[in-house]
This record gives sequence, structure tokens and C-alpha cells, in this order.
Amino acid sequence: MTQVGTIVWLSSELMFFAGMFAIYFTHRSVSDPAEWAAATDLLNMPLVVINTTILILSSFTCQFGVIAAQRHQARRTGSLLNVRGWGLQEWFTLTFIMGAVFIGGQITEYAELVEHGLMISNSSFGTVFYLTTGFHGIHVVGGLIAFLFVLGSSFVAGRFGHREEVRAHVVSYYWHFVDVIWVALFFVIYFLK
Amino acid sequence: MSQQTAGPDRKVKASSKTRPPMFLETVVFGAGVPVFAALAIVYGLLTNFTEPVGFIGLLLLAGLAGLVGFFLFITGRTIDARPEDDPLGTIESAAGEYGEFSPHSWWPFVLGLGAAVVFFGVAVGWWISGVGAVIGAIGLVGLIFEFSRGQHAH
Repeated sequence: MTQVGTIVWLSSELMFFAGMFAIYFTHRSVSDPAEWAAATDLLNMPLVVINTTILILSSFTCQFGVIAAQRHQARRTGSLLNVRGWGLQEWFTLTFIMGAVFIGGQITEYAELVEHGLMISNSSFGTVFYLTTGFHGIHVVGGLIAFLFVLGSSFVAGRFGHREEVRAHVVSYYWHFVDVIWVALFFVIYFLK
Repeated sequence: MSQQTAGPDRKVKASSKTRPPMFLETVVFGAGVPVFAALAIVYGLLTNFTEPVGFIGLLLLAGLAGLVGFFLFITGRTIDARPEDDPLGTIESAAGEYGEFSPHSWWPFVLGLGAAVVFFGVAVGWWISGVGAVIGAIGLVGLIFEFSRGQHAH
């Protein structure tokens, strides 16, 4: 039941981002190409490639956490260095850290661009860039909060059960969704330009 | 009498036409992928790809159908056949538990109040939104942990 609701909601989220992409492509088609190229040249490619890699990898760590949740394993069995014995808490904590690093990288990127004079209000590219990546960033922050709630309920539960497993599942759906949206954004904004 | 003879008959028919669970649901949503993708291309050709909003929108509509269809496909592979999957299934065979629902809870009210105050703040003054965010956070924590603490602790 919870999974179905999450998917229905994610479908509506997909259409929200469809609107974002539509805004981007409309701006792209009506703005001056030279001005657009001057703005996209400011983008820091190495930083964003590293950031993207971290976000994609975090989807994998998230999925390992879900697999642990499916065995109803909240905590690690061996030492922290023994990755094979990790439970949901270790995997989701790692995912949380990776997501937080992604947000940190994005803030660094924004700060650099603002330093170079790219604002949301002074150029067409700036408007769509901050709108699309900013809304995506808000979604990532929302996912991080959701991870905290999953971790919280797994710590509170003396017996890790079906309820906790479902929570891990639906948050992973959301995280994969946000990840896929980022891959699309990355491709459109940083490669197609 | 007719009920008794329908029993074995039903089994034969169900096994001769074995479809995975949620087959119909998967097809209904999955069919949207080629339909909307084709529509997107037609739309693009008619507008010479100079109007990107409709093209992108229709393309992502195909993505929406694919997302729901894929979820139903994955779910269908993990669950057992439901009464809905039986062409001769009856309404009463679907009776039983549907899920886990809170009998009553005040926390959605707190959460809704928080959201209302946040938007009230957008209209009146931003500082009120901060108060709303705090109320919302309390409501969210209360809702999520409602069945993890107190008499429900497990």
C-alpha cells in the first residue's frame, strides 16, 4: 500500500520535472546562442563529474541497504570494516554522507558561479540552471531527511520488522528517482548545453 | 450445486491461461510508453522540433507510463496471484486485510496545520513560515514515530 502511494507520488514528481525540462528547453531555444555559450563556459566540469559519480554510487549503497532491510538486518554483524556484514544502518548512513557531500559540492558550485557573476536574475541560463538544479537539490535534501527518519525508526525499533523494511523500500524508490532525474539534468545541462 | 461444479472448472481454466500476477495492470500502463513516445515524435515532426515544451512533456509522459508499468511489473513478479488475476475471480474472494492503517491519529492534523502556517507566512510575512516549519517538523516526527514508541514500541 505504501509502495503504491509512493509510486503514484513519484509519477507526479516526474511530471513536475517534465515542467522543469520544458522551461529549460524553451529558454534554450529562444535565447541568444553566444550569450548561452558564455554562461555555460563558466560551469566547473571536474567538480560536477565527481559530484555526479558520488550521487550515482549512493544509489548503489542505498540498494545494498534495502537488501539488508529485506533480511531484516538493522545492524552490522562484524566490525565496521567488514562491509559484507553491514546492515541497513551502516549502508544508509554511508548513503546519507554521500548525499550530503553531493549537496556540499552543489553549494560550492553555486558559490563559484555567483562569484563569476552568474545569478538567477541576470541571465537566461542562470535562471533555468538555478531553477532546475536548485529544485533537484531541494529534493536531495528531502531525501536526506527521509534517510534520517528511516535510520531513526530502525534505531527505535527493538525488533526490525516489516514496517521498517517498507520504509527503507519507499525511501530507496525516491532516492533512485532523484538520482535518475539528476543523470537526465546532468546530460542536458552539462553535455547538451 | 452450481458452486460445486464451478470449483474444479475454474482451476482448469486458470491454469490453461497462466499470466503472471498484475499482468493486465502492467500492460495498461506499459502500453502508454510506445503510445506517448510515438505521439512525442509526431508532435516534434509537426512543429519541426522548434517547440520543445510539448515534445519534452510527451516524452516524459512516456517515462511516467514506463515508471508505473515497471513498478507494476516488478511487483507482479514478487507477489502471488491475487483474486484480481483470476478471470473467474469473485468479489468476495478479495475479502480480507488490505494493509496497515492507523485507526485514528492526530498527527496529520498537526502536519497540515504546519503546512497551512507555512503558506500563511508566504502571504503575510516570511517569519511566520519559520513557525510553520517548526510545527510541521513536530507533526512529521510525531506521525512517523507514532507506532514506534509508547504502547506501540516494538
